[in-house]
Order: sequence, then structure tokens, then C-alpha cells
Amino acid sequence: MNKRKKLLILIAKKMLVFFVSIFALSIIAFSMSRIAPGDPLVSYYGDRAERMNTEEREHAIHRLGLDGTLTDQYVAWFKGAIKGDFGESFKYKENVLTVIAGRLVNTLLLGGIGFLLTFFLALLLGILCALHEGDWLDTLLCKVGTITSCIPEFWLSLVLILIFSVTFHLLPSSGAFGLGEADSILSRIRHMILPMVVIVLSHLWYYAYLIRNKLIDEKRKEYVLMSKSMGLTNRQVMWRHCVRNIMPAFISIMAISLNHVLEGTYIVEMVYSYPGIGTLSFESAKYHDYNMLMVLVIIMGVVVILGNIIGQIISENIDHRMKEEAIIEDAEVVASEKI
Amino acid sequence: MKRFKGKPLVSAIILGLIILGCVFAEVIMNHDPVYMDLANFDKAPGKEFFFGTDNLGRDIYSMIWYGGRCSLMIGFLATLISTTIAVVYGTLSGISGMLVDDIMMRFTEILLSIPGILLIIFVQAMIGQQNILAISIIIGVTSWMSIAKMVRTEVKLIRTQEYVLVSKQMGAGFFHVLGKHYFPNFISSIMFMIVMNVRSAIVAESTLSFLGLGLPIEVISWGSMLSLSEKALISNAWWVILIPGVFLVITLMCITNIGNYIRERMNKGESNM
Repeated sequence: MNKRKKLLILIAKKMLVFFVSIFALSIIAFSMSRIAPGDPLVSYYGDRAERMNTEEREHAIHRLGLDGTLTDQYVAWFKGAIKGDFGESFKYKENVLTVIAGRLVNTLLLGGIGFLLTFFLALLLGILCALHEGDWLDTLLCKVGTITSCIPEFWLSLVLILIFSVTFHLLPSSGAFGLGEADSILSRIRHMILPMVVIVLSHLWYYAYLIRNKLIDEKRKEYVLMSKSMGLTNRQVMWRHCVRNIMPAFISIMAISLNHVLEGTYIVEMVYSYPGIGTLSFESAKYHDYNMLMVLVIIMGVVVILGNIIGQIISENIDHRMKEEAIIEDAEVVASEKI
Repeated sequence: MKRFKGKPLVSAIILGLIILGCVFAEVIMNHDPVYMDLANFDKAPGKEFFFGTDNLGRDIYSMIWYGGRCSLMIGFLATLISTTIAVVYGTLSGISGMLVDDIMMRFTEILLSIPGILLIIFVQAMIGQQNILAISIIIGVTSWMSIAKMVRTEVKLIRTQEYVLVSKQMGAGFFHVLGKHYFPNFISSIMFMIVMNVRSAIVAESTLSFLGLGLPIEVISWGSMLSLSEKALISNAWWVILIPGVFLVITLMCITNIGNYIRERMNKGESNM
């Protein structure tokens, strides 16, 4: 009973942090986008906005809900948002959620599969390096890895387009599907290969190296010696014990790195003109499509903040050693506060 | 030779050569980097144009050295800005009471949760200018958060030390304590992050310029040279894409190697204690 109560309090606390963070994020995004110079009317009315007389302008501003002080505008936006009404996109002249829904699937596919693939390969690579610690294979992988992690995403994308699309005509260089092939799964997969390779390659080594170092620390522990004395081979110890022991750390690294991979996905989407929410955020920031931008920033915030909270919960609860350490650390901080 | 063992000597030499080449660009250039020679556009690398020409007829060999100045300058300037903000913000957060400290750290976490490139686009829209100083400021004010967190942790550890208290008792102001006591103590632990910040600033500049949000094509930098690559893809002018990119990647690698060396040296120091 007591345990359940504790859990409820924990969930309530995390929920509170979550909502306060999202609220603060929405205020920051709202004020930042509106302070930015530029005419949002242009994105709605196009060139017509420049020829409007004062009266028409005022009417248009009122229609788009851009009159009143910043606070008034935010309150109006917030009231709508609670009811699930996020307004109309200035550029597409449709409900924001409809436009985003069409694009979200593309990004989820590209980013989601890329994310899982990155971590799956990073784990394998990390294990491989840790098993061969110090010998030529490990040294070689570390060298190659460091080089790949220095290549900017956009340039890697360009080089891949140059090789696979321009020179050998093997794969398409932009879009999410061929002309008139929206339903063809094969076409979608072909369009996804290059962006996916960039996402995986540009993040792979960073995480593989983290995992390699965690496993190498794990190898130094005494249970490894005992398992070996009981007749297990190196590989068996690694797979049965070491890998299992770093799993909590691995999952929490995954959770907090959502932001990092998401950012990579955005850049890759822009280079490959892939119709996802990355290109959409870029467009809406550039053309002052306020309503669109707000929803996109909040979606991103929800994903990233949820990831952070999950990471925290995992490291606090699954791995009890961390929790104790965290408590001691907190206690120290509290003690130093009092002095 | 023993003295240089384990030190990133090769990286340091290559980086030094690239920096020297960029500083003394006028000496090694064999063409005017901004001159558009319309008779010789999209020429492949050869005797006259070592690295070929782009589709505006500019000599890439000369542009590399001349444009490297911009890229490196933005890298250093942006890092200077972000480090200054990080040091002041982190120290303030570290010496503040629990509530203020908590709010300040939550704020950095929220900023960290917005993907960097989008944050940069926001600030870019607010400043609205496309020159070296503006781009450095944009990159600087969007990349101080992780250093600030580190500074705050370090300051929290030393702020109750006797010498800090004594210094404050004797009437030292915020910046005096920061410069004389906090900074010398945390500089070694943030040095690695500062070096890596130079690297990410150079990447950010090139990405921004490539997307058409950074420096315009007339202002030559490695990023703005690459912004012509879409046209180069059509005409299959591989040298326009590959050569500036290779210079960019080599520079980034040298910086990374030096950064890693600093980190390892720091870790060694700690474990000896």
C-alpha cells in the first residue's frame, strides 16, 4: 500500500514538472516567434499583403488574431489550445493539426527507425570494441569512428547524393516517394535509404563509444573474474552479464538522446527535401507561420521532455545504486545550501 | 621525441598550417577569390585552377584559404561569446539560493530541449542580419547551455571554500571573485567543452550558410561555398562539393583530436589524486 502511494506521488511530481516545462516552453516559443521581425500577413496573403490599405490590414490582423498585446494574444492562443484548437496555418490555410498529421508519419518513420537502428548498431559496435579492447580491431574502429563523427550531416548527405544519385543513378535524391507512387512501399523505402544512412552514420559512433567505455568499466569488475573462473568464455560473460548490467544505463542514454537524433533528422530532412515536420518547422519559422510553429515546438518539447523524464525515472528506479548515490548527492547539495 | 608521445602533434601541425594558410591567404592565393571569371565557370581541377572553379567562375583554391578566415573566425568568436555567457550564467546560478538556482537550471533545460538548429533559426529571424558578427552572436547565444551547467556544478563545489568566503568578507565584488577564484578552478574542467564548442560553431556556421540562413554567397566561407552545391549536383561538379568539405572535415578532426587530448589529460589528473 505504502509502495503504491509512493509511486503515485512520484508520477504526480513528474507530471507537474512535465506540464510546467511545456507551459514555459510555449511562452518562450510564443514570445520569441512574435518578437522576430517580418510580416506574418505575407505568409497568409502572399504579395497581396503589401498592397493592402490600412483598413484592410487592420481587418486582416484582427482576422488572424494578431491584434492586442502579446499577453492577450497568448491568452487567446492558450484558451484555444486547451480545447484542442491550435488555429489555422497561415501558409497552408488549413487546420494546423491536419497539415502536421500528414507530415508526422514521415518523420516518425525516418526518425524512429533511424533512432532504433542507431542504438541497435551502437550496442553491437560497443560490444565488439569492448570484446577486442586494445587490439587492432578496436583501435581501427575507434579511429574510423572519430572520423565519421566529425563529418557534418549536411555534407555527408551531399556526398551520398553525389555518389548514389548523380554518379550511379541508384537511389533518388529527394522527396519521400516518386511521382504518382504515394502508395508504393518500395518507392518509399528507396527514398528513405540515403537519409536513414546519414542519420545512423552521423550519430552511431558517439553512442557506440559511450557504450564501449561503459562495458570496459564493467569488465574490470570482480564478478567477471568469478564467472570466468567458473568456466564461462569471454563472450558468454559479456553477453550474459556485462551487457545485461549496462542495460539501464543504455536505455536512459537512449531516452535523453532523443533531442540529438531529432535535430539530425531535421537537418537531413531539409537537405533531402523530405516532407516531414523538420522541413515544416524550418518553413514555418522562415515564413512566420506562428500557429504552425507553436504546435511543432510543443510536439518537439513533449517528446524531448518525456524522454528526459523517462531517462531520470529509469536511472533512479531500475538501478538502485544510482538512486542511493543521487540521494547522497542531493543531501550534500542541501547541506551546502544551509551553510 | 618522447616529449610528444600521446600528444596530438599531427593534428596540431595540420590545424596550425590551415590557420596560417587562412591568415596569410593573400600570399598563397593565385586568383582573386571574389572575381567572377565568367569565361571559366565549372572548370575541373587543373593546372590553372588547382581545385577547379564554381559555377560563378570563382577559383576554389583561392576561396578555400580566403573563406577559411570567415569560418575559423566565426568558430572562435561564437565560442568566446557562448563561453562568456556560460561562465557568468553558470556562476550566478551556482551562487544563488536553491529556488533561483532551480529556475535558472530549468530554463537551460528547456532551451536544451529545443533542437539547436531551430533555436538558431529563431534567433536568426530576430537579428535578421547576415554578416560575420551577427552569425557569431546567433551561434554564441544558442550554444552556452551545457557549459553553463558544468560551471554551475563546479562553482557549487568551491563556493563555500574558505578562501572564497574570506575574499567576499574583504569586500570583493562578483566579477573579482569570479575572475580570481572561480574561473581558475573550473577552467580545466570546461576546457574540453570550449574546444568542442569551436567545433560545433564551425559546423553550425557551415550548416546555416548551406541552408541559406547564414552568410550570403558573396561573403566567402566554407559553408557559403557549399551552398552552391545544389547547382553543382546538377552539373556533376564534384570538386565544388568535395574540396571545401574535405577542408572542413579535416579542420573539425584536428580540433576533435586536440579536445580529446585535453579531456584525457584532465581525467588522468583526477585519478592521480
